[in-house]
Amino acid sequence: MRGDGAHARPMVGHVPDPPSTVGPRFPEPPTAADEETERFLRPYAVDAGTADRPTDDPVEHEDDLDMLTLLVAARLPGEREVLRPERETILLRAVRARTLAELAAELRLPFSQVRSIVAHMIADGSLQRCGPSRPLERQDILHAVLVGLRSL
Amino acid sequence: MASADSETGRGTPEAIPQAVKIIVAGGFGAGKTTLVASVSEITPLSTEEVMTEASYGVDDLGGVESKSTTTVALDFGRITINDDIVLYLFGTPGQDRFWFMWDELAAGALGAVVLADTRRLDTCFHAVDFFERQGLPFVVAVNRFDGSEPYEAAEVREALDIPAAVPVVMADARDRDSCRDVLVELVTHVIRSRSPAMTG
Ligand SMILES: Nc1nc2c(ncn2[C@@H]2O[C@H](COP(=O)(O)OP(=O)(O)O)[C@@H](O)[C@H]2O)c(=O)[nH]1
Ligand SMILES: [Mg+2]
Repeated sequence: MRGDGAHARPMVGHVPDPPSTVGPRFPEPPTAADEETERFLRPYAVDAGTADRPTDDPVEHEDDLDMLTLLVAARLPGEREVLRPERETILLRAVRARTLAELAAELRLPFSQVRSIVAHMIADGSLQRCGPSRPLERQDILHAVLVGLRSL
Repeated sequence: MASADSETGRGTPEAIPQAVKIIVAGGFGAGKTTLVASVSEITPLSTEEVMTEASYGVDDLGGVESKSTTTVALDFGRITINDDIVLYLFGTPGQDRFWFMWDELAAGALGAVVLADTRRLDTCFHAVDFFERQGLPFVVAVNRFDGSEPYEAAEVREALDIPAAVPVVMADARDRDSCRDVLVELVTHVIRSRSPAMTG
């Protein structure tokens, strides 16, 4: 028996869907005004630090980035990534949509550090988060996963 | 002809799949990483979290607070289900003191596998409690190690106090087919528990 004896055991029943991260979320691409701002940034400010003046609030992005958030590069690496190899790697890897977990694993950096860098990159328009091309209902996902697993 | 994606120089734009996850929990050494590796299409990846722990010294500093950093690795694997869905399998960090990471890990998961190690059944109590409290559907996979008690599924169910609706299955984390069966059992259970009216 499990340690504490007669604890009330919640029934496992219908599980409400978690807060939806489904649905395309395509942030606006960087505008000319953003580019204007960029020119005044030190090109090799280290890390995700405070030297960048982002076009919106990275902290807000960071709060809703999780392991499975899909990210895609909005541009190829350029001069701004000189001496910022981790950003360069992220932009190269995310030419195709990548999960944050995969980016962190590939960079071999702690997850929270990668999440912070990514949040800054979203804020400055170099990365975009994206939803699935074909958002599916949870029930349809489960049935498809069942079929897929059976044929492993 | 200008393709929609011509500015990046690529051909057809890639369809972006939906990323979903299943959690694999259990005590340290229960076979989580082994299970993930058995079914993953990639060598399991690992993402690290570095934590600073304040510890109250029992060492020669005599009670002075000291700080140490610990690295927790989360292993994960991937199974491409079809063009629209990619399934990730995440192993939980085994040590109890990393519980705070479980909330984030479990959020939005389809379900969980609890690996019960027959040498130390008590090491999965926490995981069972956690998923019950979260209301996340789970199955218990009994990973039978050589030389341990030859438990039957029913005995494990009783020892862990698992409700009848939750499947308890025997498994070998090293065996791909066995791991696939565990995952099929889980997803079947998740679908069933979402529509209780249909199964009575
Ligand atoms: N006999 C047996 N050994 C296993 C099984 N699964 C894992 N092992 C071994 O147990 C050890 C620990 O497994 P691991 O997957 O690293 O455990 P984790 O800490 O839960 O990730 C490894 O040496 C595995 O080869 C199993 O089903 N049967
Ligand atoms: Mg492991």
